[in-house]
Amino acid sequence: MKVKAIFTRIRKDWVIYLMLLPALIYFVTFHVVPLIGMKLAFQDYRIIGDNEWVGMKHFEVLFSSPAFFDVLKNTIIISTMKMVFFFPIPIILSLLIIEVRNGRFRKYVQSVVYLPHFLSWVVIAGIWISLLNPADGGVNVIRNFFQLPSLDFMTSKDHIRWVLVFSEMWRSAGWDSIIYLAAIMKISPSLYEAARIDGATNLQQMRYITLPELTGTIVTVFILNLGFFMNAGFDQVFNLMNDSVLSVIDILDTYVYRIGILNGQYAYATAASLFKGLIGVILVLGTHFISKRLTGKGVW
Amino acid sequence: MKKLNWSTWIIYIVLFLLSLSVLVPILNLVAMSLSDPLKVHELDGLDILPKGFSLINYEVLFSNPLIVRSIFNTLFITIVGTLLNLFLTAMAAYVLARTNFVGKKLVIVFLIVIMVFEPGLIPEYLLVKDLGLLDTYLSLILYKAINVYYLFILMRFFEDVPDSIIEAARIDGAGHFRIFTRIMLPLSKPALATLGLFYGVYHWNEYFRATIYITDPNKYPLQVVLRQFVVQQDNTSLLGAQTVLSYDKIASLDFSSLQAGTIIISMVPLLILYPLILKYYAKGALEGGVKD
Repeated sequence: MKVKAIFTRIRKDWVIYLMLLPALIYFVTFHVVPLIGMKLAFQDYRIIGDNEWVGMKHFEVLFSSPAFFDVLKNTIIISTMKMVFFFPIPIILSLLIIEVRNGRFRKYVQSVVYLPHFLSWVVIAGIWISLLNPADGGVNVIRNFFQLPSLDFMTSKDHIRWVLVFSEMWRSAGWDSIIYLAAIMKISPSLYEAARIDGATNLQQMRYITLPELTGTIVTVFILNLGFFMNAGFDQVFNLMNDSVLSVIDILDTYVYRIGILNGQYAYATAASLFKGLIGVILVLGTHFISKRLTGKGVW
Repeated sequence: MKKLNWSTWIIYIVLFLLSLSVLVPILNLVAMSLSDPLKVHELDGLDILPKGFSLINYEVLFSNPLIVRSIFNTLFITIVGTLLNLFLTAMAAYVLARTNFVGKKLVIVFLIVIMVFEPGLIPEYLLVKDLGLLDTYLSLILYKAINVYYLFILMRFFEDVPDSIIEAARIDGAGHFRIFTRIMLPLSKPALATLGLFYGVYHWNEYFRATIYITDPNKYPLQVVLRQFVVQQDNTSLLGAQTVLSYDKIASLDFSSLQAGTIIISMVPLLILYPLILKYYAKGALEGGVKD
């Protein structure tokens, strides 16, 4: 009887299901099917006929390949550099912007620093290649002004990873500061008032009110970023890469692109990206639980 | 107004320098693209005003069939793609936010799972290949037809539409589809504008899927041509497509200036829309708590 009632409801609501159908078809086709397609990591790819199951073969090849460990190392180094040198910048920027009381200047600064977020990495790469040009790029003009010799950053193995860190700052520091700005603006003004009455300086207010109140947001953003740790910024590396520096900035995703799309080793490349995905999930879950232990705050 | 003390001055100066670090490299490219080709060598990386003045670079670029076609390709993909994005996202958001049906919870859980697990590049590529979509605009339009984050944002907007309006329509005998098109869509124009900008920027900037899905140069979007010319420094395929150009014009061309011009062209639509983007996008990103 209950089952019958459910069926009558479903039949009555057919318009609802019809309206949901295009979305469901899309999600199943472009999300579920490729997700299931990740099983290719345990198969050999056949152009004609069914793929053949080969168990852990590709992973064994992967883990015994020096090339794989090189890209894994690069991925970890680049991501760690960004975590250490880029991650605090949007926080600092938000603390600076919030101190600007002049409305027009604040609006100007915000409008300008958010802009690069909307440019594609192709455009940004173009801008940075020109900015770092060894002949007359802006950075070398400044270096020459201080009597320092010009450097060709884009082809220098010692510098290219720093180019990644700084171009990431250039693109994302402004935009990423929005979330902290929003959090700061939610802090109750009465806290600051009380502190001022007690004679706290601006710096003390920042240290004892703003930063502690921001901790929750910082932890959340940090954990979300860890989820992308193994990405290390594919679009960025893809566009700033050249043959001279390939060996130090080739990351997992560019590796997957090269062996998969360019060389057609579909199954092997899928194994590499499945490995990458698993590490990402472990990192997020791991930090979530650790953070919950330590601060009582996790992502969910 | 309170008097500024020295620490405030330092903050203002630091922020001003930061804003210059964003603006100068962009303005430098504008200056380079507008400089007289014979004088452009005098321009250094910090100049923001052109040396001499000439529109020759833009003349050359806009008479280049590869560039012109790629601009139209991108416009087509962006407009059609965004409209489809909006329709599909809004319809699903309406159903999930404003109706009750058997299996609704299941669908929501399904969407969250999808949001968490991103499929890899290779299975996606093989899917597009198997569907016969390689070398079609459709591959670029369909591939990100609905963004789950945006869907959730729109659901939140739809939930805020007052019940009374919908009830009134229902009493007048309107069905769900009618309520959706006649009431929900007109009432959520600001929300749809926000999402339209989200999606539009995505389509305009998309280059990677196009790099792997599209092989026919006539179908390249602008970003792919830009990448070929500026990032990969491939001058030949671009100038090879140049048909109407006299020899003395070719002789006077400066490639860096042409590259600068191409970069600027691809930024123009974003710069035109930027005030709108700031108004809607920044607000939307805050409310949805979205990263990226």
